[in-house]
Amino acid sequence: MRLYKKEGSTIQILSFPSDNVEKGDYLLIEDPRVNKKLITQVIDVQFASVPGLLEELLRDSTTEQFVYGEIFDPLEVSSHMNHIQDAWMLLCKIRGTLENEKLGVNVSWLPSRSKSGITKFFISSLLTHTRDNGNLPINIGETKEASRFTINAHDLDGKLNIVTGKKGTGKSHLSKLLVLGLIDYGAKVVVLDLNGEYTNLGFSSNGEKNEYHDRVHVLTPGANLKVSLPQMDLKVMLNILVHALHLPGTSTREFRRIWQSLQQRRAFTLQELGEAIRNWKCNQHVRDALFSRYYSLLNSGFFTDNIAEATTFEEFFEETQKGGALILNLHDVSSVDRQIVVEYTLGKIMELLSQWKIKAVFLFAEEAHLYLRETYWDDIVTRMRHFGVFTTFVTNQPDTIRENIYRQADNIFLFNFTNERDLETVSRAARVDSETVKSIAHDLPSHHCLVLGKAVKDFPMVVKVRAFDVQTMGQTRLFFTDKN
Amino acid sequence: MRNMEGEYFQPNEMTFNQPATENFEDATPVLGTHCPFTIESIPLKPLLGDTPVAAVDISSIKIGETEIGVLCAIRGAIVWKEKSRYKYLRLGPFPFHITEENKKEIYNLFRCHYFEVSEGVSAPSLINMQTRIGNLLERWLQLGISCSAHDSIILWDGSLTAGTVDSPVNVISQLLEIARNRLNTVLAFSKTTNLRLLGHRLTDLAEKSKPPCLLQINGFPIPSGPVFTLGNVYVAKLTQGICSFRLDIDKKVPRERVIEAVEKLLGSDLLIQSYPETLRLAHIFSTFTATEVIGIQRFIAQQYGLKIIARPNVRRLLFGPFGKDSEG
Repeated sequence: MRLYKKEGSTIQILSFPSDNVEKGDYLLIEDPRVNKKLITQVIDVQFASVPGLLEELLRDSTTEQFVYGEIFDPLEVSSHMNHIQDAWMLLCKIRGTLENEKLGVNVSWLPSRSKSGITKFFISSLLTHTRDNGNLPINIGETKEASRFTINAHDLDGKLNIVTGKKGTGKSHLSKLLVLGLIDYGAKVVVLDLNGEYTNLGFSSNGEKNEYHDRVHVLTPGANLKVSLPQMDLKVMLNILVHALHLPGTSTREFRRIWQSLQQRRAFTLQELGEAIRNWKCNQHVRDALFSRYYSLLNSGFFTDNIAEATTFEEFFEETQKGGALILNLHDVSSVDRQIVVEYTLGKIMELLSQWKIKAVFLFAEEAHLYLRETYWDDIVTRMRHFGVFTTFVTNQPDTIRENIYRQADNIFLFNFTNERDLETVSRAARVDSETVKSIAHDLPSHHCLVLGKAVKDFPMVVKVRAFDVQTMGQTRLFFTDKN
Repeated sequence: MRNMEGEYFQPNEMTFNQPATENFEDATPVLGTHCPFTIESIPLKPLLGDTPVAAVDISSIKIGETEIGVLCAIRGAIVWKEKSRYKYLRLGPFPFHITEENKKEIYNLFRCHYFEVSEGVSAPSLINMQTRIGNLLERWLQLGISCSAHDSIILWDGSLTAGTVDSPVNVISQLLEIARNRLNTVLAFSKTTNLRLLGHRLTDLAEKSKPPCLLQINGFPIPSGPVFTLGNVYVAKLTQGICSFRLDIDKKVPRERVIEAVEKLLGSDLLIQSYPETLRLAHIFSTFTATEVIGIQRFIAQQYGLKIIARPNVRRLLFGPFGKDSEG
C-alpha cells in the first residue's frame, strides 16, 4: 500500500486486492522520520484510475464478443498487467494519531509519501488504545478479525443513543443485548416495546426460564398494568387529556376543577369522576367533551378502581434493586391507549426521579414517533436527561427522529441502510462525517453495525453483533412457512 | 534482461507509442513538378466470398532507462479473418534491456534468425534499437504469414520500401516472392504519407473520387539511392468518408490480380473509413496501453530486482508546465 493523496481529511491510498482491505478497516500510516503514526479508516474502496485502462477494457470487450485468439506470453508479463488493472484506491478518513503509543487527535502533520509504510491496524489493537478504565464491559459481538468487541456500560450512562437501520438488520437484537448488558450491572431499564419483541427476554430459545427471568417484568396495559386515580398526579392526567385525547383548553380548566373537588372529597374513583362530570355546572359542550374523554379513559382498560389490582411502579423499582427491566408491552394497544400509557409511564418515572426514589432509568423506545408527543423530543435530550432518563431510540425510520436528537446523540449504532435519504438523515449526526456514514452503512451486511460515538471514542467501528440465547418474538408472521 | 539485476532504472514517462525515430516508410522521393505522370482512377466492385485476410502489426515502446542502457518492449499481433470470424495471436510483450555492450548481439541475433543471414552488421545507436528490433520482429511475422497462408490477402502496416538495414531489398523481395508463389497478395497500407504531387498530399488526390476506387500514379520515378519501393503506389479510397490511404502493392503482381485482390478485400473484410478491420485489430492488439507499460515496469522491477528511481525531468525543471516531453 502506498500513500497517494490527501484532500481535507480524506487520504487516498493505492492498494491491491491482495492487501485484503475492506470498508471500515483501519490503516496505520507510519512515518519513520518523525516516529508518528496516522490512524485512518477506509470508507470506500474504488478502482484506481490507471492511465490507459479504458483502452484496455475496450480492447478486451472487443475480444470477448467478436474476436477469438490466444496470447503467447512466455515471460508471463500479462499477469503483471492484470495486476495493475486491478489496483484499488482506498478512500480513508483521518481519525487520529498514535505518538509514543498514545492516541491523539493532532493531525496537523502529513506523513511522507515516499517513506511512509502502511499497515493494517486491527480493531482489537485500536481498542486497547481507546479503552479507558471502565470496568463494565457489555459484550456486543466481534470485530472483523473475530476478536471480542465490548462497549463500556459507562458509555451508555447519562447518554443519548440511537439504534437505527432498515428492517431485519438486527436493531432489536442489539437493543436486547444492551438491555441485558445494563441489567447485568444493576441498571433499571424501561422498554417501550411496540411490537412485543422484548416480552420473552426472560426465556431461552427452548422456552425455559433463563438467568434474567426474575429481573424482566412484562407489563401489558389493561392486563397486568392498571392504575387507580389516586396514583395519578393531576399534571400527568392533564397531559394525557391534552396530548393524547386532545381536550380543548376550556374543558381542561373545568376538568382541573372537577379533579380538585374530588381530591377534597377524597372520592377518587372512576365512578365518582363520571358522576362529577355529569353534575358539574358547566356548558353542555364542555360536559360532552369531558364525557367523551372520560369514556376513552374508561375504555382503555388502563384505569381501575380496585386498588389491589393497580400497579405501582415504586414496587417494581424496589424489586429491581440489583437491576431489572420493565417491559411495557404496547403490542395490540391502540394508538390513543398507547399514548395514554406512555404519558403515564414517563410522568411517573419523572416523578420518582425527581423525588430521588430511583437514581436513573435507561429508557429504550422502539419507534418512538408512534407514541411520543412532540414536546417530549426536546424534553428527552434536555430536561429528562438531567433528571436521569437516558434514552435509546430504536427505529427503522430515521427521519422520524428529529435532527437535534441526531446532533446530540452520544452513540449511534447504525445498521444497514440502502436508501440514500435514510443515510442522509443519519449522516447529520455530529459525531462523525457524513461520508463515513453514507459509505460504510450502505454496505453493511445483516447483523453488522457501525458503532459511532463515545462508546468507541469516536473511532467508528464495524461490529458483527453476537447471537444470544433468548426467545425471539420480533419475527414477522409468515403465511408460506413450509419451504418444501 | 539478466545483465541488469539489482540496478536502478528510471521508468519512462507516459509518452506512448512514440513514433519511430527512423522512419523509412516514406523514404521515396517527393514527386517534382517536372516528372511526367498520370493519375488513373480504377473503380472497384466488391468480390463477395470468403477469401482469407491476414494482417500483421507490431508495437515497440520505451519502458525506461538504466544507468547503462534503455529498457524497451516489443509486441506483435497477427489477426486473420476466416469464415466471418476474426482470430488473433498476440506475441509478447518481450522486454529488452539494451546496452552498448549487448546491442550488437541482440540486433544480429534477431537479424540472423529472422533473415537467415549469417554475416553480422553493426548495430544502430541505442536510441534506434527499439524501432529496429520492432521492424525485425514485424518482418519475421510477415514471413511466417507469407509461408503459411495460401490464396489469401496479407495486409501489412506501412509501405513496401526496401533498402534499409532492417528491410534489405533481398529480404523484402523474398518475402513478396514467397507470398506470390503461394497465391497470396500483399497489400501494404500506410496510415500517413508525406508523398506529395504538385504540392498536394498524395492521399488528398482521392478526395473527389467515388469510392470504392484506387488511384494509380503512373510515371512514378525510380529512386537512384539505396532506398526504394518494391511496390506500385496507389491511393485507396475504399469506403465513403474522409480517409484515403497510400497503398503499396507488389510490382510483380499483374494489374488484374491487384484489382482482384483489392476487390476481394472489399468483399471479405469489414472496412471502416477505407481501412481494413483485420489490420485495425492487429494494430489494436499490438499497441501498448499505459496500464501495460506500468505492468511491464512492475515485471522488470520484480523479476530483476530493479529499484525504480525518479530522475529529474530537465524539461520540467527548466520550463515548468511548458516543458512538454514529446516536443523536440
